[in-house]
Parts: sequence; structure tokens; C-alpha cells
Amino acid sequence: MKAQAARPGLRAPSLNWLLGQMPLVALVVLCAVAALLSGRFLSGANINNILMQGAVVTVIAIGMTYVIIAGGFDLSVGSTAALAGCIACLVMLEAGIVLGVAAGIAVGAAVGLVNGLIVTRLDVNPFIATLATMVLLRGVTMLVTDGQPVSGEEGLPKAFNDFAIERLFGVPYLVLLPILVFAVFHWLLHHTAYGIRLFATGGNRDAAFLAGIAVNRIKISAYVLCGALAGIAGVMLASRLQSGQPTAGILYELTAIAAVVLGGASLYGGEGKLYKSVIGVFIIVVLSNALNLANVHSYWQQVAIGIVLVAAAAADRLRRR
Amino acid sequence: MTAAPVIAADGVAKRFAGTQALDGVSFAMTAGEVHALIGENGAGKSTLIKLLGGVYGPDAGEIRVAGRNARFHDPAEALAAGVVVIPQEIRVVPALSVAENVLLGQIPTRRALGVLPAVDRRAMRARALTLLARLNLDLDPDTRVETLGHAERQLVMIARALAHAAKALILDEPTASLEAREVARLFEVVRGLKAEGVGIVFVSHRLDEVIAIADRCTVLRDGRVVAVLDRAALEVERLIQLMTGRDLAERRHPHDRVPGSALLEFAHPATDPALERPALREREVLGLAGLLGSGTTDLLRRLFGASGPGGDIVLRGGHIALASPKDAIECGIGFVPGERAEALVPALTVRENIVLPNLDRLAGRWRLDARRVDGLVKKLMDELDIRPRDPGRPLRELSGGNQQKVVFARWIAGEAAVLLLDEPTHGVDIGAKAHIHRLMREFAARGGAVLVSSAEVEEIMAISDSVMAMRQGRLVARMERGGDYSEGALRKALGG
Repeated sequence: MKAQAARPGLRAPSLNWLLGQMPLVALVVLCAVAALLSGRFLSGANINNILMQGAVVTVIAIGMTYVIIAGGFDLSVGSTAALAGCIACLVMLEAGIVLGVAAGIAVGAAVGLVNGLIVTRLDVNPFIATLATMVLLRGVTMLVTDGQPVSGEEGLPKAFNDFAIERLFGVPYLVLLPILVFAVFHWLLHHTAYGIRLFATGGNRDAAFLAGIAVNRIKISAYVLCGALAGIAGVMLASRLQSGQPTAGILYELTAIAAVVLGGASLYGGEGKLYKSVIGVFIIVVLSNALNLANVHSYWQQVAIGIVLVAAAAADRLRRR
Repeated sequence: MTAAPVIAADGVAKRFAGTQALDGVSFAMTAGEVHALIGENGAGKSTLIKLLGGVYGPDAGEIRVAGRNARFHDPAEALAAGVVVIPQEIRVVPALSVAENVLLGQIPTRRALGVLPAVDRRAMRARALTLLARLNLDLDPDTRVETLGHAERQLVMIARALAHAAKALILDEPTASLEAREVARLFEVVRGLKAEGVGIVFVSHRLDEVIAIADRCTVLRDGRVVAVLDRAALEVERLIQLMTGRDLAERRHPHDRVPGSALLEFAHPATDPALERPALREREVLGLAGLLGSGTTDLLRRLFGASGPGGDIVLRGGHIALASPKDAIECGIGFVPGERAEALVPALTVRENIVLPNLDRLAGRWRLDARRVDGLVKKLMDELDIRPRDPGRPLRELSGGNQQKVVFARWIAGEAAVLLLDEPTHGVDIGAKAHIHRLMREFAARGGAVLVSSAEVEEIMAISDSVMAMRQGRLVARMERGGDYSEGALRKALGG
């Protein structure tokens, strides 16, 4: 889509376009203010900290963007991440890292498939369907792990734990992975026929059907991708925590949804940009980081994030008017 | 009639971001008058209705109710002054009863046990019954509105208007979704209200109805009043000419296409045994005449695989099975649904809307062939004159007429051989109608076959090479040009 800007007869960027860039502007302003208020904000250690904190949620938010664009909703991603992380660790202790990681991702994809089938074949409202699987999966995770962290007698394989610590050219693997995931999913969403089908399905289900699109299959695919990404996020978390934690990922679904909304995607489906969801993630992460640096109590941080969400949603309604 | 008009607009103007929607419009309706308001889409009808109904205020000029300047700040104030607008989309609360819907906003209450506020069901029922009786409506006030059809819901809205002691009743396209029988009933109600002294503004695209019911008619064009005509001066040709500013006499088009061989044959389960197997030929526009609810929509959707298995369909001599629209598209069949909203995705760009049904053809395994897509889209936008010529623009920013062209463009892009159209001119103005007719003729001239449904007998006779009639789900007649091809015969077949 970049090529369009270079067309002859270049239009001045419209007001709508500028308003659409509000998330980016907000993030830049937020960073500038944080840098002015605290000398530590731009330190290498702090930036590393921000990227690490954003990494896991970014992966989840990418999947969430897919589901929301397809006109759906997924509350189960936090629980899915926990279950996937624990299963990955359990399998890893028996059968090695590769199979463990594969098992974690497969569990995520399977959960997504179940969500997708409930929403399409049983025609259950996605909010209710994934609320149910969210609670159900947390229970399953507790049952599987007995409520205890999974790390074996001598801990998880060293190479797995190192993944969260090691760096490539100074960038942590844990940060490189979301970048890779973003690249693949950006291409899939914005440059392929599949992407157009996804937008069409969420934007107008009837029209998509009459255009020969298998709308249910597209919806299910979005849930499967979202689940698989939650699985990857769960494995990343397990690596960072050096164990499978049955209580991991709580409230991640809400952070991810908040990020997607901050990025301007429509909860009615059919609209959204992947990079803006990532910006949304970092608005939330940078905001709490900056408040931390300013020694603001974490209770106030929650209040601040709530206010930012309401403001973003209201600004979005204004823009659409 | 020296009394002040029930409602009047005096030199009102209204401007929206860059367009002058109304420019010095005056309008006056007296008590007990049916005053038609007509004009093409974009002429300013809806804006005028909204000014009268208090949705927004005029930039200049004033609205007067019973001779007094009325500065409505919102529709509730207009309602209190007895000005009621009944919009095209009927807004009732399906889960509530008829009585509750009629008296919504003024539900009678009583004190249960002398203290607790409670709904006075008996009073509510009685009040609703009186109002329904004034409309000659035999409806149980306790019926839940969700069990009612569109026409009855509309009458419930009119009863609600009476509950508000309406002096001016504004009906926006009230007949657009009604069957002939229901239109007749609505007109009875309108005449009854007229006799009671209620003034009625009647907005419609259907000129024959305007002529049948209106006492006076105000014609709008480009935000100005071009004529106010008395009953005696109402005549279709003249109204069209006033609305469009052009003489449309040349709109009769010669039917000089020679239909080719049979392209699509279908065994409709309920075909009159006297008829041969219905077939659609190359270079043919086949009309499917049927009143609302006669089964035309279902037949067309079936032929597109959009409502279950399509039955026995033969395309170019070979049997095909259509399980979904995808199958039909692969066979070269395109479908234009009655509502544009059913065909297009507003948030996607024009380019994406055009390629949507053709993605399989245009995409490799994954990646879209961007150069091929751009070339094709550009060619079609030029050919159909889709404006603005910007394939990257979100579809919702296009005008209705241009959106309609996008629907055609996508099937031409897909090289469809058969085009099925369901009431394509339903609720569109005269100019857009002529344009859609032209697109259909051009599609047939390219060698395609067109099957088009319409409830308007005159229209279907004018545009088709041959016509099939449908009645209560059955194909009952087929008429060819050169044979007994007359409106009379068709109306008889339709049972109208």
C-alpha cells in the first residue's frame, strides 16, 4: 500500500488519515514526556525492559487483531497461554525442547479450533463462548499441573531457559520472535487474498458469503491462528519464568483487547491494522513503565490505563462520525 | 382555506460539509391534505423531512407549525407539537406488545396497593384499542410485535403517531416494502386520517402512487423546489421531467438483440406443466415478474447456490450442482442482491470489492497478482465510469449509484456469463434506474444472459426480451416479444 503514496496527483493526507495516526502520535508523545520526566527512561536497560514486557502481549494481540477483524472476540487467550506453557514444559521434560514447543503451539491451535467451532457451528456469541473456554481452560490447567509450577526436579532444559536471556546482535530472542511473527502476520493480513477474505467476512458477512467466501471457515481460521499465537506466547512466558506456571497469563486477554482497541480496530469487525495493534500494546506498556519510573503506585497505573482506554474509544467514535 | 398551514418551511437552507442540501426551500401543508414530496436521490427530500421533524435546525429560514415559528431542538419537541415522522426503517420494539409499542413513552400507570407505581394494563389496552380502531385495524393489543409483518408494524407506528395527537404525519417511502394489497390498506388508512384533518406528507419514488393519493405535490431537484402541482396537474411524464430536468421520452430502447442458444436451463420444482423447461439464452434479458413474496428472490438465490441445493440446473448442456455461491461463481454465474448492503463491504476499498468474488482467479496460491488486479480494476472503473477514479478509496465513501456500478464491475471482472439480479431497481430513483437498465443491456450485448426480477410490471415489460411470471412460488407463465407480450396479460398471470 506504500506505493500509493507515490502516485501522481498525490493527495494531501486527509484529516481522517491524521486522526487514524493518533495511536502513533500518542505513543511518541508518551515516550517524549517519559524521557523528559525521567533520565532513566531512555537507558538501555529500561528500553530492554519495555521490549521484554511488550513481547508476549504483542504476540497475543496479533492473534486478537485477526479474530476481531473477522468479527469475533477471544477472551480465552490468557488461559490458553497458561495451558500451552504448562503442556509445553510437561512434554519437554519427557521428550525434549522441540516436541515440547510444538506441543504448546498445537494445544493453542486446538483451543482456537474449538473456539471457532463453538462460535460458527453452534452459533454461540463469541463473548460467551470464549468466556466459557477461558474459565474451562484455567481449570484444565490446574488439573493437569495439580496447581503447581512445572519445572521438573532439575529444572527445564537449559537451552529453553536461555532463550529468554540470550541475545542475537544485542537483541533478546524474546524480542526478535514477536518481530518475526509480526512480519509474517502482517504480510498474511494485508498482502494476500486470505487477508481480503478475512476483512470481508468481518466487514459484511452476507456480502462475503454471496461473493463465494466460505465465511465460517475463514472465521475458524482466525480463531485457530489466534489460539496458536496464544500458544507461542505461553511458551515464551514459560521460558521467561523458567517453568510452566498454571497461573500465568491472567488478564493478558484484556490487555490484548485493550491494545487492539487503542490501535483503532473496530469491535464490529472488518477494520483494523496490525501495526496499530502493536502500537496499542506499547502505549499500555510504556504508560505503566513511565508511571513506575515516576514512582506512581501500581493502583494508580490501573486507573490511568482505564482512563486512556475510555479516551481512545471515545476518540474513535468521534472519528467515525 | 385561510387557516395557517399545519406545517410549513419558509425559505429553509441547510448545508453539510461542502454540499448545499437545501437552498431556499418553501413548503406548506394544510390540514386534511395529502402532500406528496418527490425528487431524485440527493434532491433534498430527506433533509427537508429531518428539518420538519426536528432532527436538526435550518441554517436559514424557518419551520412553522400552525403559523408559529417552531424552533425544534430535537425530534421529541417536534413530536410534542404534533409533527410525527415515520421513517422507512420501521423502529418498533419487537419484544413488546402492540399496545406497549403504540403507547411507548406514555404508558399509563397506576398505584398498586396505593403506593407502588405500576403499569395500568387495563387502561393501556383500552387506549390502544381505541387508537387501532381509528385506523380500522383488527389487531389484538397483546400481540407481540415480533410476530407481525412489515406492513403491520408500520401501521403500529401510525397508531403511535395518533397517540401523540399527530397533526402532521410524515411518511418516508412508506410503500417501498409493501405488497399491492398492503399498499391499498395503507392508502385507506391515509384517507381516513385525512378525513380527520391530519395533514400527511407522502414521500415516494413510485409516481403512480403519488398520483393516486396526493392532493398536491412538491417536486425537489438539487435542493430547490422546482414545482408545486395540484392534483389535476399530476402526470407521470411531467413529474419525471420535473424531477430529472430532462425529457425522458427517449428512454424506450429498441430490443434488437437476437438471443442465442440456451445457456442456463433450470427445473423449478413448481413450474406449470404447460410450460417448457425454463431457459435463459445468450444475449437475452429474461424478466422474472412477481409480487413481493411470490418466490422470485428464492428462485434467484437458489440458482446462485445461496439457499441450499439449487435443484437440477443445466449450464451449456451440462448438469451442475450448486452447493454454495462459490460453486456458482466458478460456473460463471453472478448475483446482484436486492439490497446493496448485501453485496458490498463498506470498509474495504473499491478495488477489493471488485476482486472479492474473483480472488481465486486473481490470486496465486497466496499472493495477489497486484499488477493484474490494478490493470483490471482500472479498466472496469473507466468502462463503467465509477467515480471518483480511485481504486484505493473505501467503498462507503462512494455514492449509491457508483456503489451499484461496483457490484456490476465485479461480475464483469469475473467474466460471468450469467447475471442474476434481484429487484435491482427497488427503491432507487429514476436516474439510477435508467443507469441500471443500461448496465443490464450492455451485459447482454456482450453475449451474457441476464435474469432479472421485479415487482413492477411496466418496468419488467420494458427491459426484458421475454418475461416469466411467478405467483405463490410457482412459475405460471412465459411471454415472448412477438407473442402475447402485454402488460394486461402479465398482470392477469400475476393475479394482480
